[in-house]
Amino acid sequence: MSVLETFAHITFESILLPSKLPDIPEMGGYVFFSGIVRNVNEGKKVTHLEYEAYVPMANDTIRKILLDAKEKWDLLHADCIHRLGKLNISEIAVIVETGSMHRAEAYAANRYIIDRVKHEVPIWKREFYLDGSSEWSQGCSHETQH
Amino acid sequence: MFVQVLFFAAMKDHFSSQERLELTEESNVRGLRDFLLERKPEASSLLQVSRFAVNQVVVGDEFILQEGAIVAVLPPSSGG
Repeated sequence: MSVLETFAHITFESILLPSKLPDIPEMGGYVFFSGIVRNVNEGKKVTHLEYEAYVPMANDTIRKILLDAKEKWDLLHADCIHRLGKLNISEIAVIVETGSMHRAEAYAANRYIIDRVKHEVPIWKREFYLDGSSEWSQGCSHETQH
Repeated sequence: MFVQVLFFAAMKDHFSSQERLELTEESNVRGLRDFLLERKPEASSLLQVSRFAVNQVVVGDEFILQEGAIVAVLPPSSGG
């Protein structure tokens, strides 16, 4: 067994698109969201990102958000994984999966989870620009429109 | 008394990632913030918008710190 503690909702590895659905016969709707590294932010050309976190607290905060979502909606499946470290353009930074009997719950819960993850989970993004400079992102005060 | 303070992201431009700080007994979170503001006035705008977590739970300004507490200074999140 590894001496490194592992966390269900935090990874330093590439996040891949799932190749199959969760095996839940009652599930009639499944929503998959991925947040992806894009090559521009606020007009500046971005070359790559680095994410860091207060890992144990970030993992626990995501776990609590998922539990809250399961209390609010009848979900058969809910998961969220955030990647840390250096990420290149078009790589996946975060995924949220929700599944329910009907689509409405899965859509609503998925949006709820990603919105809370962005605002509450202690994870921070540093943007590296084409001109060689870099900057810590100043939080997500206007992220809801983006 | 001594507390461990963890700094992240932009806060590390001003502080080490982990510092052991000596505070007066019965210090609360506000007292710690004031202590940090005094040491690094240039970090004041970031300190004012940061949350504080003690042993991984976000706490308010009045929270009384205990000897050995692990306090994390959390700038606004920017995950996703």
